[in-house]
Amino acid sequence: MWSKKRSLLLSKWVTLLFTLLLAVALVAAPYIAQKFIQASANAHQWQFPLFLLSAYSGGAVAATILVLLYCLLYNIGVGQVFIQKNVSYLRGISWLCILGGVIALASAFYYLPWGIVAAAAAFIGLIVRVVKNVIAAAIALKEENDYTI
Amino acid sequence: MAIIVNLDVVMAKRKISSGELAEKINISQANLSILKTGKAKAIRFSTLEAICEALNCQPGDILEYKPE
Repeated sequence: MWSKKRSLLLSKWVTLLFTLLLAVALVAAPYIAQKFIQASANAHQWQFPLFLLSAYSGGAVAATILVLLYCLLYNIGVGQVFIQKNVSYLRGISWLCILGGVIALASAFYYLPWGIVAAAAAFIGLIVRVVKNVIAAAIALKEENDYTI
Repeated sequence: MAIIVNLDVVMAKRKISSGELAEKINISQANLSILKTGKAKAIRFSTLEAICEALNCQPGDILEYKPE
């Protein structure tokens, strides 16, 4: 039977899977970038170090997001949903998404399709920010309810 | 906050303990402590009614407004 506990466990496993994929992608980044340049009609060999720079800086941001996401899932798992720490985690994730968007936007100067990644990252950052606002409002409501005797 | 809770004063006058009052008005001692220490953000009419009944007093005896 499907349950909330299993759903949370699935989210944790998917987060760990993404962490593993990110680690593999970062290790294989030179190979992937080289293959991509060879296969793409619009990419050129001089862009190779720039691709690596984008991959490693973006990878560092993605790794931090995954850590914060796992911390958030851990807190939810132990029943601590409406706490200030989770708001901080969501705020961090939101700003990191925006930072990822800025990195991708800067990368669009040498390879235009990065612009799509920049827009997607900024949009996800906005969504996470709205979720953060919702959780912050829920904490205020819960606090008021807890202190109504 | 500008609203002062004088519950402890009324309780002392009536010579009633926290445990006894909590039991009479059917709330936990932890919640009564929140109320006594002024940490509460709101008080239900039902709670206020129960306190007034148990302590034989008026809401004004328990709550006081002091401009900040």
